[in-house]
This record gives sequence, C-alpha cells and structure tokens, in this order.
Amino acid sequence: MSDAIVYLEDVTVAYEGFKALDRLNFYMDRRELRVVIGPNGAGKTTLLDVISGRVKPEHGRVIFGRSTDLTTLSENQIAALGIGRKFQTPSVFVNLTVWENVELSLRRPSKGVLSTLFDRDGAGERDRIGATLGTVGLGPKADALAGALSHGERQWLEIGMVMAQDPELLLVDEPVAGLTDEETARTGELLVDIARDRSVLVIEHDMEFVRQIARTVTVLHQGAVLCEGPREQVQSDPRVLEVYLGQRKETHAVR
Amino acid sequence: MLKPERLGLLTVALILVVLLPLGNLLPPSSPLHVSNFTLNLFGKFLTYAILALGLDLLWGYAGVLSLGHGVFFGLGAYAMGMHLMLEIGSKSVYQSALPDFMVWNQVKELPLFWRPFYSAPFTLVAIVVVPALFALVFGFLAFRSRVRGVYLSIITQALALSAWLVFNRNEMNLGGTNGLADFKTVFGIPLNQPSTQRMLYVVTALTLVAAWALCRWITQSRAGKVLVAIRDSETRVLFSGYSPASYKLFVFVVSAALAGVAGALYAPQVGIITPAKMGVLPSIEMVVWVAAGGRGTLIGAVLGAIGVNWIQSWLTTSYPDVWLLFLGALFMSVVLFIPDGVVGALSRLAQRLRRRPAPRVEAPQLERATDSTA
Repeated sequence: MSDAIVYLEDVTVAYEGFKALDRLNFYMDRRELRVVIGPNGAGKTTLLDVISGRVKPEHGRVIFGRSTDLTTLSENQIAALGIGRKFQTPSVFVNLTVWENVELSLRRPSKGVLSTLFDRDGAGERDRIGATLGTVGLGPKADALAGALSHGERQWLEIGMVMAQDPELLLVDEPVAGLTDEETARTGELLVDIARDRSVLVIEHDMEFVRQIARTVTVLHQGAVLCEGPREQVQSDPRVLEVYLGQRKETHAVR
Repeated sequence: MLKPERLGLLTVALILVVLLPLGNLLPPSSPLHVSNFTLNLFGKFLTYAILALGLDLLWGYAGVLSLGHGVFFGLGAYAMGMHLMLEIGSKSVYQSALPDFMVWNQVKELPLFWRPFYSAPFTLVAIVVVPALFALVFGFLAFRSRVRGVYLSIITQALALSAWLVFNRNEMNLGGTNGLADFKTVFGIPLNQPSTQRMLYVVTALTLVAAWALCRWITQSRAGKVLVAIRDSETRVLFSGYSPASYKLFVFVVSAALAGVAGALYAPQVGIITPAKMGVLPSIEMVVWVAAGGRGTLIGAVLGAIGVNWIQSWLTTSYPDVWLLFLGALFMSVVLFIPDGVVGALSRLAQRLRRRPAPRVEAPQLERATDSTA
C-alpha cells in the first residue's frame, strides 16, 4: 500500500436516495495511467468529484499519498496538494490570454490574495510557462485570448493548465469528447507522455481512444467496481460484455 | 497600455484635477469661468466616480454584481455627517449641544455611538473602516456559503432595502427620513465659503486619482488576473488552487471602502445625507453608471459616473419629466447595443480603424439579472 497515490475505501455518495457510488473501493499506484470506463450513471464523474473535493462522501475514506485524508479539505486545498483536474467541457479563462491562463495555473507556494497582489514574475516562471505551452503545442498562440481558441485548442490549453499545476495526480474527464480523429490521437499521445512521471486517471467513453492509451482499465457499474485489470482481459470479461451489451440492447430498444 | 488611451487618461485627469478648479478662480466675466455651482456639482460627480471605480472592480473584473452599494456609500456619508453635526454644536437652531433632530425627538443626551464622532481622526478612520467591516461580515457570510450570480445580487438588494428601512427610523437617532443636514463647518473650516468648496473639490479630485491608481494597481497585479479568471470560470479558479471566496471578499471590501470614502466626501459638498441615498434605487443607478461607461476598464466607470449624472442634472432641471425614461432607455440601449459600454465601444472602433480583429467580448451572464431588476 505504501506506493499508492490515491486510495478510496468503502466510499458511498448518494443523491436523494440514488447511490452514485456504493461502497466503492478504488486504488491507484504512483505513475500509473488508469482508464475508468462504464455505462452512463456508473459513477465515473462522481469518482473524480470525490477525489477532487467537489463532492463529500457520506461514508468512507479518501486517502491521498501516504495518509492525507481528502474528505475534510476544500477543492482549492486539494488542488494545492497536487491533484489537478481537467473538466469534460473545456473550462479556460476566455478573457485572459493563453499565456496568462497558464501563468495563473502554475504551482506556487501561496495562492492567497496578498501574495498574488505583491508577487512579481519569478525567474524560472517564464520558462515554465513557455515549456508548458510547447508541450501542448500552443506556443504560437501565447498572446491570443483563450476565448479565440477552437474547441480542441481549449482542451489542450486546459490540459496544459493542469500540467502547470505540477500535480502528482491528474484527473481527466472525457478529454476527447467532440474532438476530430486527429486531435484525439494527439491528445492520447499527450496523456501517455504526461503519465511518464505522474499518475493519470482518465474517464472515457470512446473505446477507440481507450485502446490507444489504456494499460489498466477499471470498469465501474452502479457505483462499484465491476472488474479491473489489463485492457485485453477486461475487454473479454463476460460481465463487462453483459453490462455493455445489455446497455446497448436497452438503447436500441428505446430507439 | 496603448498611447491614445494614456493620452485620454491624462486629459481627463488634467481637466478634472487642474482645469476645473483653476476655471473657478477666474473672474466671472472670463469665458472659461467655472461657477461655484458647477464646481460643486462636479465635486458631487467625482464622489460618484470614486464609488463607481470600486463597483467596476467588483462587477467589471470579478463579475460580482452588487445592487447594494448605496449602503456603503451611505455608511461613509453618515459617519462623516455625524462628525459634521457635532461640529455645529450650539450654533444650531435650538442652540443645544445636541443635533437639532434629537432635540425635536426629545432625546436628552447624546447616544453613546455618537460620542466617538467628536474626534476628527476617529471619523476619518470610521469612514473607511465602518463600511469595510460591514462588507467584510456580509461578504464573508455570502461568499463562504457560495452565494453567487443573481442570488448574490438579490441579497445585496435586500441589504439596500433593509438599510434604507432601518435608517429611516427615528429610533436609530440618525435623523430618520430627514437624515443629517445643516452642516456649518468641516474640521473647523466654514462650509459656506467658495474657497472651502474649492478645497473640498480638489481633495475629491485627488482622492479619485488615488482611488484610480489603487484599482489600477490591483487589476495589473496577478490578483487582478485572478479576478478576471473568477468572472470567466469560478470552478476552474477553484481547481487551480485559488479560493475564489477570498478574492471576492477582498474586492467586495475594497469597493465598500471606496464607496464609504465617496460618501464621506459627498456629505460636506452636498450638505445633506438622507436614507434616500442608500436605498435600492440609488444602488441600481450606480450600476447603470458603470454599465454605461464600460465595465472592466476603470476609466469607463469614472466617465460613466460623471456623464450619466451630468446628463441627469441637465435633464432634471430642463425636462424633469423625461429623466427616468431616459435612464431606462440608456440602460436598455447599453445592454442591447453596447454591452461593453461607451469606452468598450470606442476601443473596438479604434481597433477596427487599425484593422485589427476586435477581441471577443464575452459578457458576464449577470446582464440579465440587471435588466430585469432595473
């Protein structure tokens, strides 16, 4: 257990009786790229909400690193600990430039009002921003307003912003929704690259994309882990097939 | 900053700080003479501009629309007014050491909370600290509970309404509906002298410049960028490790303090402060100044406050019936046609002339909140 980056034990989240997570146990290693899949309503986004502090579980423990209990902390405190989150719909600061978007995201000793009022650009800061923009391929657009970027570019900018936080753990919610095939492939490369020295937890619907990046896959179903393991093994698991095929039958029936 | 903008700023500052009081010194026969009345009128406009700067910081940058800034203006004005009332002493109508309205209300001795206002230094501190503390407590509760958007606007409006109701009560010992008036001196200097009014005007103009510099410094710092980021995506700010509540509380308190200072400069120049200045309607008018001038530009707030009030003083004397219609039409047309205000429209025009694509203007969602309440 000493090598875990995040550890959820017996976590339950309920919305007005509906259990989004039901006594979920989830464990992730350092420097692991984990993909979580599952049908709609399986609790995937709630899992990210619990880790990032947006939702407080009514039961269970969420441990980050060795012993930090995340359930008592606020979102910004959790972010400061080194957990970055990329949202499903890209959320960037449209009235600031691409450069400023990354500048605000950089990891700093303090992000309080006083320090941001008096801080001036640190020496290494420009290099770090430049390097981040280079990684996500937005160097030439540094001075453009983020509001002028395309959907795909906004996705990358947000990934860059989360990377600038220098997180130990990245939570990524459906990063390729609405992207072209080419953009999807590039996003996949980017995530695999990031996972070289960080832990990355990706939620995804797009099975093609899962095939591109996944090493270990966790399947959620009705708020609990259905099965977990290497991608090939999970894909051929009869329970997974049933959940997904059952789902498919239902959607066909509805149509 | 671009050169024409800097030139514009300097011109505005020069006219307001230097030329107007100089014009007042000229003999009345001179074509450039500025009458005492006009100078006094502009002194009042400039106090509004100080308030508008704070409101712009809060609304134009952080996207927090307060419909209750009249309260903070009123608190500053009342704090100053209380000191001015005590300065009158026994020169009042009833020749009592108590303010006239207390004699009228048969109050026998000065209420305890009035006493510190005998001290001029205490008053000078109070005009900043009282509104700031009040904003700190109110803002802390509101932002901590994550009240935002339209809901925050509504509770600030409720605040304005309740402050108005409370200050109207005679039991408050603040003069009730009639407020505080008949000031004779300010820090020992007689108020009925043109030179005193000129001095007050210059102090107001310099305070405006200082307030602008403060707001400018805040918006140019990294904290200023965080404020814009909060307006764009509060969730992203939160997940980037900042506490949006602290930042919003900070600008809320700064803007309340500026409103308080504005009120304190208003009281001796206008000579009266009543609860009518701190109610719902004046608070909404303040928002209109900022919207018309241009949100998120600082200078737009200054020009909006002066411009709208200038037109108001002209319309209410020449065509008193159309003033409210005009105010409504003004706000509607700003929302519909120039959501970024006069300054925003001008800078877009300048950009088009320079054949550069205009930046996308993504208006904060609160637009609707204001037009349904105004």
